[in-house]
Amino acid sequence: MSAATSASLTLDAIRACLEGAVPATIATCAPDGTPNVSLLSQVHYVDPDHVALSYQFFNKTRANILANPIAVLQVIDPPTAAQYRMELCYLRTETTGPLFESMKAKLAGIASHVGMQDVFRLLGADLYRVTAIEAVPGGAPLPAPVAQRSLLSATRRACEALRGCADLTELLDHSLCVLRRLFGVEHALILMPDEATGRLFTVAALGYDSSGVGSEVAPGEGVIGVAARERVPIRITHMTSDVAYSLTARDGAEDAGLTGGPAREIPFPGLERPHSQLAVPILAGRRLAGVLFVESRQEMRFTYDDEDALATLAAQLGALIQALPPAEDVAPVPAACPQAGGAPVVVRHYAADDSVFVDHDYLIKGVAGAILWKLVRDHTTLGRTDFTNRELRLAPDIPLPDFAENLEARLILLQRRLAERCGVLRIEKTGRGRFRLVVTKPLLLQETA
Amino acid sequence: MANGGQRDGQRGGWPERLGPEGGRPARAGLSEAILTFLERGVSLVVSSSDRANRPRVGRALAVQVPADGTWIGVCLDRTANAALLAAVAETGRFALAATEPSTHLSIQLIGEDATVTVADAEATALAARHVDAFAAELALIGYGDAFTRALMAHDPATLAVVRFCPSRLYDQTPGPKAGTAVPP
Repeated sequence: MSAATSASLTLDAIRACLEGAVPATIATCAPDGTPNVSLLSQVHYVDPDHVALSYQFFNKTRANILANPIAVLQVIDPPTAAQYRMELCYLRTETTGPLFESMKAKLAGIASHVGMQDVFRLLGADLYRVTAIEAVPGGAPLPAPVAQRSLLSATRRACEALRGCADLTELLDHSLCVLRRLFGVEHALILMPDEATGRLFTVAALGYDSSGVGSEVAPGEGVIGVAARERVPIRITHMTSDVAYSLTARDGAEDAGLTGGPAREIPFPGLERPHSQLAVPILAGRRLAGVLFVESRQEMRFTYDDEDALATLAAQLGALIQALPPAEDVAPVPAACPQAGGAPVVVRHYAADDSVFVDHDYLIKGVAGAILWKLVRDHTTLGRTDFTNRELRLAPDIPLPDFAENLEARLILLQRRLAERCGVLRIEKTGRGRFRLVVTKPLLLQETA
Repeated sequence: MANGGQRDGQRGGWPERLGPEGGRPARAGLSEAILTFLERGVSLVVSSSDRANRPRVGRALAVQVPADGTWIGVCLDRTANAALLAAVAETGRFALAATEPSTHLSIQLIGEDATVTVADAEATALAARHVDAFAAELALIGYGDAFTRALMAHDPATLAVVRFCPSRLYDQTPGPKAGTAVPP
């Protein structure tokens, strides 16, 4: 076999073999030369020179590679049945961290796919350097299917489309738009972190019956939470029965128990039975700015190439978020209080978690709840309707973290929740760093400790 | 592709998982139950190692069990498995893992006395029949016939048979029992 780095056949070219759709074969040998051969459920692409194999049981293969680090794999391209051999050299085993977590998530899907969910359990990610690759001679592979789209072209055009966006709202909306138009994605979410709690809240959604804007995911929870915590794309290619990766099963009980009173959870909008899921962290410099999440009812919908494409899009989105100018340079402009008629609606604020209910219906909580409470208080006591981002940032009763887009993300969240759930209040942008609270009925404010 | 449909019965240990013994006598040191399993539509993967202890890997086409033999034969495509066959010729080391995809039942047979021989007409016919059986087996878990036949495509004129007498048998069904010795 020829060296992987110099031969025309690269690991990247045969990544479809490493999706877990067809088992690979691994051969090793003991120090006395005794060969060992077995099937392998997961070969994970790490980078152009490395793969990782799942360590699930201490078996002969594992004993062999610890004593003699050379292994050879035979892998199969699922659409064509073409076969390749790879020579590997064992380097080390990782039992925590991004590589381990991305393999663990993927294995959960593979295990359910082959009916081994009670048997497959990842103990470690065995990292190997790929020293040679060859196509197995002979055979009669099937013709490769024609790809539905060029992911490289889609990525280029998506990055170009985001470049002209003026603010965070446009960036989020355009991102979902290009996912649908250029990548054929039918279901997507963008979540942003609350830096104080680490929880992620949904700010933009595509393709769900209820948008789920404001729904939350804890760090480490499901593919989204793991992607955020480990800052690595997490991808599942088959429907998993592993509850660790199920987000729709949550019932909000933990939240109801925390503060008492009515439930304060916005249901997560995800598909009930997703067959493919991919969550990609959005990094702004070294900081986690959000998570881009896509899912599908189709198995194997997102491949390594899709993961690369969306990671590139997320990197562009992160850089553009980081480069957004602070949208708070304009002085407040007073406006006349519009007339609001009819029976009053009750707006109740719970100080314990800044949750806000409108006529007994839960609307929002946390920072966005604190913002809304300030707006409606200023509206009812001072008659104000026009506000600026700057004054919200300076308001002592709004616990905002450091970064400019955190305020903007909360305003987007609030604006969208109001649009979806409240016919009485809405937020309209009136200029850069300025917005108006539109109130169509008298408000009766009630504060609860 | 694969739909994840599985047969029951992948739990338990060898050889009881293979079902009742039939009337055929043991050959090549293997019980009839194991020999019957090897002749089913199982996946057959093989390995060897050369004098430098470098492992070799390949895919086999069929298992040949002569009626009066002290060895079993494993049919391989020479073109696809040149390095592996060279290693077998060099060291005599050989391992065969047979796995039933629909149940995950798996066994590995290891020998140190393997030799490479030319396939006879019976071995060539066996390979063709095994491809049919393997295609039927893979169809149970959702693989199309064209895929399996492409995977197992070979030139009947270039087949080799590795003959060996297994000296060690191991349960290789995924799970905590994987790697335990199996009585022949």
